[in-house]
Amino acid sequence: MSIVGANKKKIKTKSTLLSPELLGQLERMELVSRKIFRGRMKGERRSKRKGQSVEFADFRNYVAGDDLRFIDWNLYARLDKLFLKLFLEEEDLHFYALIDGSASMAFGDPTKFHYAKQLAAALGYIGLCRADRIKVEMLDSSAASSAPVLRGRTNLWRMLDYLEKLEPGTNVTLNDSIKSFCMRNTGKGILVLITDLMDKSGYESALKYLVSQNLDIYLIHVLSQEEIDPDITGDLRLVDCEDADFAEISVSQRLLDRYRQTLARYIQDAKDFCGRRGISYMMTSTERPVDRLVSRYLRQRGLVR
Amino acid sequence: MNLLPVFDWPGFFILGLIPPLIFLLYFLKLRRTPLEVPSTYLWARTIEDLHVNSLWQKLRKSLLLFLQLALALLLLLACLRPGCQGEDLIGERFIFLIDQSSSMSATDVPGGKTRLEFAKEEIRNLIDRMDYDDSGMIIGFSNTANVIQSYTRSKSLLRRQLDLVKQTNRGTDIKEALSAASGLANPGQTSDKESDRDIQVADALNATLYIFSDGGIRNVPDFSLGNLTPEYHSVGGLEIPNNVGISAFSLSSQLDSDSGVQAFVQLQNSDDEDHSVTVELFVDGDVFDVRSDIEIKKESTTALSFDFGDLMTRIEKPVPLEIHIKDEDVYMADNIAFGVLEPPKKANVLIVTASNRFLEIATGTELMKKLAKIEFQPPRFLKEKEYIEAATLGLYDLVIFDQCSPEQMPECNTTFIGTRPPTEEWEFGEKQFPTNVIDTDISHPLMDSVSFGTVNVVESSKLTGPKGTLVLIDATFGPVMSIGPRQGFQDLVIGFSLLEYDDDGNASFNTDWVKKLSFPIFVQNVVSQLAGGFRFNAAQGFEPGELVKFRTVLPTQTAGVTAPDGKKIKLSPRPDKRFVFTGTEAKGVYEVEDLETESLDQLFVVNLFDFRESDLSVRDTLEIGYQEIKGTTKTIPARKDFWSWIIFGALALLMIEWYIYNRRVFI
Repeated sequence: MSIVGANKKKIKTKSTLLSPELLGQLERMELVSRKIFRGRMKGERRSKRKGQSVEFADFRNYVAGDDLRFIDWNLYARLDKLFLKLFLEEEDLHFYALIDGSASMAFGDPTKFHYAKQLAAALGYIGLCRADRIKVEMLDSSAASSAPVLRGRTNLWRMLDYLEKLEPGTNVTLNDSIKSFCMRNTGKGILVLITDLMDKSGYESALKYLVSQNLDIYLIHVLSQEEIDPDITGDLRLVDCEDADFAEISVSQRLLDRYRQTLARYIQDAKDFCGRRGISYMMTSTERPVDRLVSRYLRQRGLVR
Repeated sequence: MNLLPVFDWPGFFILGLIPPLIFLLYFLKLRRTPLEVPSTYLWARTIEDLHVNSLWQKLRKSLLLFLQLALALLLLLACLRPGCQGEDLIGERFIFLIDQSSSMSATDVPGGKTRLEFAKEEIRNLIDRMDYDDSGMIIGFSNTANVIQSYTRSKSLLRRQLDLVKQTNRGTDIKEALSAASGLANPGQTSDKESDRDIQVADALNATLYIFSDGGIRNVPDFSLGNLTPEYHSVGGLEIPNNVGISAFSLSSQLDSDSGVQAFVQLQNSDDEDHSVTVELFVDGDVFDVRSDIEIKKESTTALSFDFGDLMTRIEKPVPLEIHIKDEDVYMADNIAFGVLEPPKKANVLIVTASNRFLEIATGTELMKKLAKIEFQPPRFLKEKEYIEAATLGLYDLVIFDQCSPEQMPECNTTFIGTRPPTEEWEFGEKQFPTNVIDTDISHPLMDSVSFGTVNVVESSKLTGPKGTLVLIDATFGPVMSIGPRQGFQDLVIGFSLLEYDDDGNASFNTDWVKKLSFPIFVQNVVSQLAGGFRFNAAQGFEPGELVKFRTVLPTQTAGVTAPDGKKIKLSPRPDKRFVFTGTEAKGVYEVEDLETESLDQLFVVNLFDFRESDLSVRDTLEIGYQEIKGTTKTIPARKDFWSWIIFGALALLMIEWYIYNRRVFI
């Protein structure tokens, strides 16, 4: 395990996504997976595989063909038997942050999309600092817009640059975009899906796809304050920004109460669904600062430490 | 339960359009403000939930509509004025006669109200019960009638005008009111000269006549109700009320003695129980005398006298008097009476005669000396400047011309004996012989106690006077003594001389009247009536509402009258230099002021001494024409209106609607 501060480099960025203070906080954190995955490259993370780290793992009998360098000659001298000394391999971790890019994410102050980008950047930076394999991607059906895979702190600017360029408004269902993602990415690792779950076709099948990928999935359900506690009055024609569908309402206290009940039930359903499938669910409002979300809430949930 | 619509049909038609209008407005598409949201997903689900019980939800959705419809219907209902108890009046035209006389101020009806207030309330109940196309008329009456509201269908106008009916201090006479009421019911008839037939000038309109009175009314025998259906509601307590009142108050000098002036008060007890009262006499606002424990037997009168002692010698100007009965009863209006004590003033009488010993004897009595200052002058005095001035200024109260005549009539009352007044209005016929008197008007005050039966007159002339002349003595050939008016004065003209003088101036009798006892009595009557005599009897005064004609002591161009309530009225004299004052509604002492010299000129009083008003017992029947109308004391059931409650409910509904709209509780 390397010392975090050893290779610290000051990275100057004008990005609005991450403040320097937050960067400082994030550098001291690391992403935690509840599963241990096999990485592709050597990283700072203990792997299931036995490898060439300095950390002793186990002994095993020598079989023909084993690398002679790993034979424990001291044991051979004592016991006259060939044992192979096994060391733990330290590997990298695959981290995916998926941002829902639907038009509904463009609402709120700050917008849910901006909030999602901030969150993805924060988590991505933690991963970059720990030499994890980071992929921050906006959910989109097209493979062309596939995000770069990044590793190492120096790639922070690339990640931020990529994130800055992202704009919400893709007209694709959560299901399709997740499906497309799963087809393109088969690696194991941590996946954080940042979405508002406002998909009329439902989110269940999309999450099932993800679950089938054997990923450590975190679902961060982002809602704007306007959605949690709508401050509207009068006779309104609500127009859906995604499909121009409309709902005519006359706002009343009762209707608002019922809306809140519906929202609460919706959140609870999502939570239950995720809970049953081993997905860590977390609902957050855009009004909750990203640094607090990462440092407190996600830490409590075990995504970072 | 019945309805009293406020509007006519057109009004209700317009009002009836309101509910459908509200309904139509609800069908108009609600203009909704578009608002872009991230997703209608949750909203759709929310609304979906609300649509589960769609019928109830629809009802809920239109709750405001229902509330508004209910509000409009409630207001419509209120306009119909639903109420209960009391039936519609039968008939189409109603005349409400309301007694405003003094006795209606008695407070013997339940609730401590006056009889007038009670009657007004009863009439109001009747008005409420009128149908919307009925018409009503209100006539108030005291000793005169006053059409307060002519026929109208507007009940609100009737109610408003009814409120204006005021209490008066006057007596009661229903005849004028009946005439006013029967105007439309019994239209006049005109004679068709050609066919000798009477033609009715208009269609008779039957009407119900409601008379609200306490019955202190004289019977009206010579009146036909015709098409009027009378209904008499007697107003007043069931029991004979407790009332002791002053039924007379007069002042008189004790001519037979020198003890001065006395006030006489008559008290009347109209109750069926004996009463004892305390009477106070106020002179110029101060208590002068008090008599307590004066017993008055039931349904009888008692008299009191107050002696003023030497007060008369001390007063220099007219002094107001007041008599009070201290004890309270239900009718306080007759517990007070007013009078005026005038300072002694002798009348100024001039007798112009060549030589008439009998006139001298008749005017030389002690009584006459007390009554007047009498000056004798020969006929040549009439040409003197002194006479002309005095006559023009009106310094004399009476001038008696015995067989002589002035060039111009003096500004005072006159008596002409055997000569024609110098005006064209009086005509003297040829002297006739013999003069047989056939009639004397003994009812006239001048002929009071004058017996002319045994009097012989030799020669006399037939008299013709101006319009309004009263004949006092009629002979076979015509009037020989008449009294006629002249611009506010009175001229007594006797068509025969008392004495005849020959050319040598020797006198002979033309009548033996001068030797009879009735002559000095007649002269005394002339002096006391035409010269005024002492003006002690001012307490008689006038009745409320009476026209007061008066002359100031010295001629003036403006006089002011101050009523008892302090109201001042400025008056200008008429051509005959008399003032006419009409505002005598209030009882009390009225002050007349000469506004040129700003000095008190005289006082006069207004009293109501009417035993009918003081007798508060309520009459059961009225006799109008040959019809006896039985009175009913049954209270008219007051209509219980619900409209105020309905309006209250509508207001509550409006508040609920406001709450629902603003809080959006159900919609």
